[in-house]
This record gives sequence, structure tokens and C-alpha cells, in this order.
Amino acid sequence: MAKNNMLAMVLAGGRGSRLKDLTNKVAKPAVAFGGKYKIIDFPLSNCANSGIDIVGVLTQYESILLNSYAGAGRIWGLDSKDSGVFILPPREKADSGLNVYRGTADAISQNIDFIDSYEPEYLLILSGDHIYKMNYDKMLDDHIANKADATIAVIEVPKKEASRFGIMNTANDGRIIEFEEKPAHPKSNLASMGIYIFSWKQLRKMLVADMNSKTSNHDFGKDIIPNMLNDGKALYAYKFKGYWKDVGTIDSLWEANMDLLKEGSELNLGDSSWKIYTEDATELPQFIGDDAEVKCAYITQGVQVHGKVEHSVLFTSSIVGAGAKVKDSVLMTGAVVGEGAKVTRALIADGVKVGDGAVVGSAKSDNILLVAHDIEEGGKYYG
Amino acid sequence: MANAIGIIAPAGHYMRVEGLQDFRPISAFSFLGRYRIVDFPVSNLSNSDIERVQLYVNNENPRSLAEHVGNGRIYNINSKRGLLQLMFSHESALSDIYNTDVKAYFDNLPSFERCHEKYVIITPGYMVFKQDYDKLLNEHINSKADITLLYHKVNNADTSYRNCYTLELNRQKGFKSMRINTGTVADRNIFMDTYVMHKDLFIELIKKARKLSAISRLTNVIHAESENLDIRGVQHKGYFAAITDFRAFYEANMELLNLDKAESLFSNDWPIYTHTTDSCPVQYTASASVKKTMVANGCVIEGNVENSVIGRGVEIKKGAIVRNCIIMGHSTIEEGVRIENIVVDKWARITEKQNLICPENQPGYIRRMDII
Repeated sequence: MAKNNMLAMVLAGGRGSRLKDLTNKVAKPAVAFGGKYKIIDFPLSNCANSGIDIVGVLTQYESILLNSYAGAGRIWGLDSKDSGVFILPPREKADSGLNVYRGTADAISQNIDFIDSYEPEYLLILSGDHIYKMNYDKMLDDHIANKADATIAVIEVPKKEASRFGIMNTANDGRIIEFEEKPAHPKSNLASMGIYIFSWKQLRKMLVADMNSKTSNHDFGKDIIPNMLNDGKALYAYKFKGYWKDVGTIDSLWEANMDLLKEGSELNLGDSSWKIYTEDATELPQFIGDDAEVKCAYITQGVQVHGKVEHSVLFTSSIVGAGAKVKDSVLMTGAVVGEGAKVTRALIADGVKVGDGAVVGSAKSDNILLVAHDIEEGGKYYG
Repeated sequence: MANAIGIIAPAGHYMRVEGLQDFRPISAFSFLGRYRIVDFPVSNLSNSDIERVQLYVNNENPRSLAEHVGNGRIYNINSKRGLLQLMFSHESALSDIYNTDVKAYFDNLPSFERCHEKYVIITPGYMVFKQDYDKLLNEHINSKADITLLYHKVNNADTSYRNCYTLELNRQKGFKSMRINTGTVADRNIFMDTYVMHKDLFIELIKKARKLSAISRLTNVIHAESENLDIRGVQHKGYFAAITDFRAFYEANMELLNLDKAESLFSNDWPIYTHTTDSCPVQYTASASVKKTMVANGCVIEGNVENSVIGRGVEIKKGAIVRNCIIMGHSTIEEGVRIENIVVDKWARITEKQNLICPENQPGYIRRMDII
């Protein structure tokens, strides 16, 4: 922790229930993205690339996979001496028994002892379910320069979408005047990204008070931030420019995958100066077959394409059979599209098999079709 | 854990892969886009529960190999009980004929005398195949033979497998003779330079070999001692390639574009481990056309590619035509280039509209980092 004395806590406990069957067995941060990644690879790689050595990952909902995955800090190079990824599910304590995390702030409160053991000066709070690349060290520079009590990363969103976000109203110097959660009539278009830097000593005091409050939701957005504003604390917005996406729904998860197909994609996962690290698959390189046709596609290791793929993202070990047509779709890890099958505007979940000659999804559908169960040979499925 | 130490043998000085070998030893050659040759022997040993492995390297540019294998963690070798050691040869390049396997083992005799494992398994760092050594070790023990040799039956020894040894066996698969492939006969048993024997016998043979001649190889001493020893052959089946000359390297890659062949070498229960570079998936643009090709991650493909192996981070620009090529990592094929039957080494750049076509039976080579 020598470099910037900032410890990161990643909130990874949410189910992400709008992702439907994709999160039946795994928490949202463990959902796969972009061919070979998991969503949590983004905040963890950002931490590693920002020089943050200690990362706590707060897990709760269906955490087995996430615990074993994130516990191996070496995937992100967070395994040298004095660094590590620590999985922090709720645990029984001598003075308070076993309590689930009651909210985002409570998850931090219940781990005050963990954070104290590293004596950080600053605490970075991240959410484990966004796709973006960000240098948190630069945000800390701003936090220090502003002598802020808290700094919140914000991104400009289109005005008409602003009412879906937590909106920060700021003064000219970036100081936050007002925070409105999903306002009907937004006064600004600066949306909170759920990324906070606090000075630890101060936050610690507030968390201790919050823990004992009967009326609190124990949530950063609902309680801690509004209370700080009421107390006249110095909260600053840190404007982030670049790609950022909350992949909370099937449609937005699909969209974020499709964004990778754009030439000169803003996310640019190929940038070797800011790599996103993930678990390596011991698979063959991808094989494009004798009669295959591949256009506008994002394809990773272990994939076999024998049919036609257009404007689609193919995850590790997925297979497109001969004569099959996959268009505007996402095939997640190990998904199989049988010979002659047709998949359009669909997201095929991990390991799902679409039988030979089956037809799935439609070009005219309003929403992206999630296929989370096998489709029989010649079957038709439009959702 | 199998009761054997794995030894990955260095290539003999009589083997030479033109071009590529100027930059790294054969074991460090990239293979099929994302592997290096050495991944195959080390993964075989690791998958066979052999956790102590010595990898022998001649003093020809070992940097890339050392970087690649690291401490063996990538090969799933146990970080406490297991050990992957890189063994460097100290002989000067001036006296290359002294760079024999026996010399390298002799220099390390104390490490064999000290180790707790009872058997040695010697396997080459320049051949590609899949073998369960635990199974082979058990076969060896049950047969009560002194030495077990692994061989592969081929029907093209007259045109391929130069620099390999052929093995002549009697009907009981007993050893008759071993000599360098002369290329006169098509049907041969190619010796896979793989031995299983008791550690004590191995040490004894190494000492004897040193007395025989200062430049003798393990094959020489085995030949000399064959009268006194029970030496048997075991036939290997499945994919086999000996990367002992340039054409063999090219053909071994091309052959694996046949998916059935590739699947006989790679299977889920027998992973071939390699170093990850965390490169992103491959981007194919609207102008891309790709057929019968293996592509490693990190590439951007805008052009036409057919019957080729494309390494990590390669860029193939619009209108380029790549046929029957091996394009190694991080090379760039610019717009409008036509390139056929050529191995392009790493970090090279073929500039716009070049026509580089070699005859099909005589693949060409573009050197590492060259701009054409």
C-alpha cells in the first residue's frame, strides 16, 4: 500500500435480479462479458493498474464462484507481498453475531476492523458491476487537491436519461451542492458512477454513527452522502470521460457487448497500457472453419465457427455449427449453436445448446431474447 | 505424484531450424498461434503428476524461454512440492560439438543423485505430442525392462523426419538398433527421443558415456550398451511432430488446421498450458474474410485469411490476402499485401501492396522485426 495509501472496497454482493436467469447461480459481478472477461475483472484490473494494492471484495448473494475467483489475486497481479484481494462475506463477530450486509454502507461498517488493520488514509468504494476503465489514482489527486471530504466520480449522461441516475448538482468548481436520486426533473446531467473516495478517519466516524441509527438504510447513496451534504462537508464531483456502462439488464448487457464491435470502440480492450486481466482459459486458439463467414465479430479463444457469424460476440469455447447463422447476438461461455440453426438478437447463456435447425430470436423483437435453457432440434423460441 | 523426475532434453546441435533458431532455441518457438513448443512436454509431465521437471537449455538465446516458463506456475506444477528448473549449459558456442545432452546431464549429476524420485523420464523439448507419462512409467515398471523407448510409426520417413533417429525393433519390440534417419525408406519407427529408466541406471549410463567419448550422446551409449540391457520400444499413437527443421515446423502448424488432428492433441482432460498475455479477443471487421484458420487473441482482422495460423496481436489490414502462412505474434500485414506460403516471424511488418509468394512446397521466412 506504499504508493497512494488508498485501500479499495468493491461492493459485489448484489444479485442483479434484472439479469434474470443469468444471476440464478452467480452474483452479477461474476457474469461473463466481452468474450473472456467477468464484470468484476474491470474494477479489479483498474485497481491493479491504478497502483492500489489492497482490495476488499464484499460478497453476499450466491458468492461461491465469486469467492474462489476473486480470491486468486494473482489473476490481476494483486498477489505480491503487501498486496492482495480479500473476500469479505458477512461473518460472525464476538460483539454482534452474524448479520447480513444491510446496505452498501453497512457492508463497509461491518469490515471496519479489516480496513483499520491497513491504516489507509483514503478509502475507495467501487461497485462490482460496471464496465469501464478508470485511473483511480488521478481521482485521488483531485480529492487531495480539493481538500475534499469525499469525491464522487460522475459521468455526463444524455439529459433525457438523467432521471434514471443519481444526479449531482455542482458549483462551477465542481463542489457538489445537491444530490438527487432519480429526479423527475433533473437539474444537471452529471450521474454518479457509484465510485467514492473518502478520507478514512472521517468516514469511519460516520459509519459508526450510521450503524447505530434506527432510521438509516445504511446506504451510501441514501444516507451517507446526503448526511455529509447536510453537514456542510466538502464533496466534489470528479468528471470521468470515457466508456462507462451499467450492465444491469439483459438489453444493456447485450448493448455493452455490441459496443465492442464498433471500430475504434471507446472501451478499447486492446490497449496494452491498461489491460483488463482475467482468468486464462486453457483452450486452443479460435478456429474459423473452411466454410465459415465471419464479419463484424468479437471472438475469443476456444471458439469454433463453422457457420456464419455477423455482428456478434462469441465467448470462450462457444461453437457455431456448419450452416448456422448467428446475427446481432451474444454466445456466452460454452454456448453451442447447432448445424443450420438461426440465432438473431439473442443472448445465449453459458453452456446452453441450441439444437440443429432451431430458430431463436427475431430481427424485429423490441428486446433482446435471453436463452437460458437448451432448445431442442428444430425448435422455435421467440421468448 | 508419479515417482519420477522429468527431464526435457535440449535439441542436438545437428538439428537446425533455419531462420527461427537465430532468435531462440527450438523449445521456445511459438506454435499454433499461442503456444511455445516447450508447453507440450511440460504440460505432458505436469498432467502426468510429475512435479519435478528439469528443462535443459543450450546457450543460444535462452531469454524468451526463461521468461515464458517462469517458475512453472503456469503449468500447474505444485508450487511447494513441485519444481521446474531451468538448466543452462555452460559450454561455449565455439565448441558446439561438445554441447551434448550427456554433457548437460553430467554437469548436473549431483541433482539426480540427491533427488528422491526413483525413475527418470527424458522427453525432448523439440517435439510435439501428447503422452501420459504416468501410464508409460507403469508400463515400464510392469515390463521389467531396463529402458523403455517411445517411438512413432510413420510412412513418410523418406521425405520428412530428417535429423531424427529411427528405431529398429525385433518382433517382441526389443531393441535392435538406432540410427539417424537416412531418408531411404518410407516406413520407419521414428524414435521420439523419449526414455524411461531407473535413476541409478541413468546415472551409470551418463558416467559410461563420458568415458566413451567427450562428445557422445545418450543415443550413443544406449547403442553401445544395448547387448547388456533389456531395452524395449513402446509405440505412441496420435498426433506427432518433430520440429527438427524449418519445413517440419511449417508443416506441423499447417497439419493442425485439420480440426480432427488438433483434437487428438488437445483435449479437455489433457490441457496444454501456456503463458497468458491478457490480450483481448479478436476483432473481425466488416471487410474480413477468414477460412480454415487458427487465430490467437489480440488480433484485428480486416483482410482475407485462408489456411493460416495467426499469432497473438497480429493486424491484417483491409484488402490484404494471407494464404498458407504462419504469421507470428504482433506482426502487421498492411493493406493490399498478398502473401502466400510464408512464415512471418514476430514483430515484422509487411508494408502496403507487397507481393510475397513462395512455392507451396518451399515455404519462405521473414525475419523477426523486419520491415519489408
